Amino acid sequence: MPAAIQINDVHKTFRRGVKALRGVSMQVDPGQVFCLLGPNGAGKSTLVKILMTVIHASKISGTVLGKPIGHKPTLKRVGYLPERHRFPKYMTAEQALHFYGGLVCMRRKHRLLRIQQMLDLVGMSSWRKHKVGTFSKGMQQRVGLAQALLHDPELLLLDEPTDGVDPVGRRAIRDLILHLRSEGRTILINSHILAELESICDQLAVVVKGRVSLEGTVEDLTRGERRWIVQYRNVDLEWEDVAAESGPAGVRITLPGEDAGLAQPIIDRIRAAGGTITKVSQERESLEDLFMRALELAEDRDGATPGAAQGRDA
Amino acid sequence: MIAVLAILRESWLYLRSEMLFKVVMGLNVLVIVAYASISFDDTGISLFFGLTHVDSEYVRGGTQFARTLYLGIYSAVIVNFWLAWAASILALISTSSIFPSFLSEGSVELMLSRPTRRTTIFMTKYAGGLIFVMLQVGVFTLGAFLAAGWRVGEWDATIFLAIPLITLFYSYLFCINVFVGVITRSTLVALLATLLFWFGTFGIRTADDLVNHYVIVTESIEARTATRVAQLQKEHDDAVAAGDEKEAKNVAYWLTSPKEEHEQAQTTLGQLRPWAAMLSTLRVIMPETARTLGLLHRSLERDMDMTFQDLRSGRAFEDPEEAAGQDEFDAYWGSGQNQTDTDDERRRKRQRAFNQAEREAAETMIERENAIPAWRIIGKSLLFEALVLGLAIWIFRRRDF
Ligand SMILES: Nc1ncnc2c1ncn2[C@@H]1O[C@H](COP(=O)(O)OP(=O)(O)O)[C@@H](O)[C@H]1O
Ligand SMILES: [Mg+2]
Repeated sequence: MPAAIQINDVHKTFRRGVKALRGVSMQVDPGQVFCLLGPNGAGKSTLVKILMTVIHASKISGTVLGKPIGHKPTLKRVGYLPERHRFPKYMTAEQALHFYGGLVCMRRKHRLLRIQQMLDLVGMSSWRKHKVGTFSKGMQQRVGLAQALLHDPELLLLDEPTDGVDPVGRRAIRDLILHLRSEGRTILINSHILAELESICDQLAVVVKGRVSLEGTVEDLTRGERRWIVQYRNVDLEWEDVAAESGPAGVRITLPGEDAGLAQPIIDRIRAAGGTITKVSQERESLEDLFMRALELAEDRDGATPGAAQGRDA
Repeated sequence: MIAVLAILRESWLYLRSEMLFKVVMGLNVLVIVAYASISFDDTGISLFFGLTHVDSEYVRGGTQFARTLYLGIYSAVIVNFWLAWAASILALISTSSIFPSFLSEGSVELMLSRPTRRTTIFMTKYAGGLIFVMLQVGVFTLGAFLAAGWRVGEWDATIFLAIPLITLFYSYLFCINVFVGVITRSTLVALLATLLFWFGTFGIRTADDLVNHYVIVTESIEARTATRVAQLQKEHDDAVAAGDEKEAKNVAYWLTSPKEEHEQAQTTLGQLRPWAAMLSTLRVIMPETARTLGLLHRSLERDMDMTFQDLRSGRAFEDPEEAAGQDEFDAYWGSGQNQTDTDDERRRKRQRAFNQAEREAAETMIERENAIPAWRIIGKSLLFEALVLGLAIWIFRRRDF
């Protein structure tokens, strides 16, 4: 099966010389949830807009669903939720969905059916006769998702889907994404918020200043970064050769390595001393740690500050 | 096709949601009701459904005057003032925001990321604005058609010609509006630029007409005086040849005035002609806003024995034979020149001659205007519109959002 998205060496320099992308290559396999991470201004949205023909790349080669980028008819098979999207505020939720359904040439009968289904799916059915202009950010985002799913696309590009959504809504969106994956769709998510993506993404790429800094599966990227955590209280012990730090919940010992045997002598010693063990667990590097690592990598590479840079250079 | 309909429907929802749209439609209805309120009876004209009454000996129910006046009010007052100015400005204000609102950040991405090509989106949005105007004029002309049928029994379908012609006229302005709107994404700038452009075409046309009018007046004076000068010169030469010194001196005296007048005319022409050339060049480039509307008047008055112009100038009430009058040029410079005239009489004759030149020039201007074929007026303007739109589409297609 060919890749859902396959791009090589994408460059984009805006007028006035802002270099938003400086040679991005990546591949998104079908049926996967692919996360594009990166600080603000890294170029994530620019990349997605290039795939959606909203922005013209300065240099590009690659395919979307097996067709060259910019092939308009293919876009019927792609769902898109733009960043900070705003629906025309004079339309009701239903009218807006009719409009976007019409734009992908869905017949009226088919639209009526799908609009009802999608509004149910995102939990907005009772609001369908209300003007989009009166909706909260989170509600607009839900209608936006309904819009992206309306034409039953194989590939979904979601640009900051949880932006402005409350925790309950975020959870619902996460569940929805997993549901969509289970239906065999490919999903590309752009985000600068990390925690909520950790549990759902199969593959990720971290973009910093217009370049991919780290790429791979979550498994791959966090392997070799496993560690054991032992936490205890009610006893004072002196430790040598192990990292121990005390906090409000007691003392926390971090043991790098994957072998569970590493923790045994430590546990024995605490119990012997009469301490109460409150937690023993295996942890891996969090997405946030990974993210910071990617920024450091980019810093080493470019020798510049990694944050939300302008990407402007000589 | 489904996508095009969806875009049109969206434009419609947008316009309908605008307060101004309702105001404009309401005003249209008001104007048409006021027009329909005019009626004619045996003693004269009644306005506002009988609220006021104007007694008139000529303009009474069933007369040719009533018919001409009623249709004339439509073509000269309603079309010229309401449709061509007031309603067009209102329409410009309401349609100016179509493109900037469509291109605003957050909403343009979704439209551009769909399978519809950018050119199609652009043209559909553009057509949406024009359809809005067409609708407005359509409702309006239907009202006028019914009013004219009801009040003066004139079921004249040429009234409906206003729909395509006003829409055409509007499209010359709307293309500028859209062009600036696409570049700046600002409703206000687009509106301002369009109004400036409109006043620009208006100014150029007015200046061009004025200069041309005086070129014609001066040309006719130049030609008449040239004839007179040549004639007197010959008389003078004959007298000299015959040795009639007294007559020669006499003729030489009469020669001075036409000669001066002739030289004066030539100087004036020399000054006017470069301006005339410049203005007509400008006018070639600009779309023909006024002339397109003029086509409407042309067709409305085509079959009429009496035009609204005649009515307004009072010529309709004159005896045609008397109105033909005498040749004032001849009276002043020609055979009618009387050696016993006092200075005062000569001055009066001169004034009348000039008045005649003006009148003739005005008629020549109208003839010239009417001689310009409709296809040229419309074709040339559409060419302009196509160029502006082509440029706007080119920019729109290349643009990043
Ligand atoms: N239409 C545009 N014109 C000019 N510069 C742009 C445009 N869109 C984005 N940029 C610039 O490109 C860079 C990347 O922006 P973006 O892709 O939105 O970042 P991200 O989505 O990762 O936060 C930023 O420096 C931004 O200012
Ligand atoms: Mg972004």
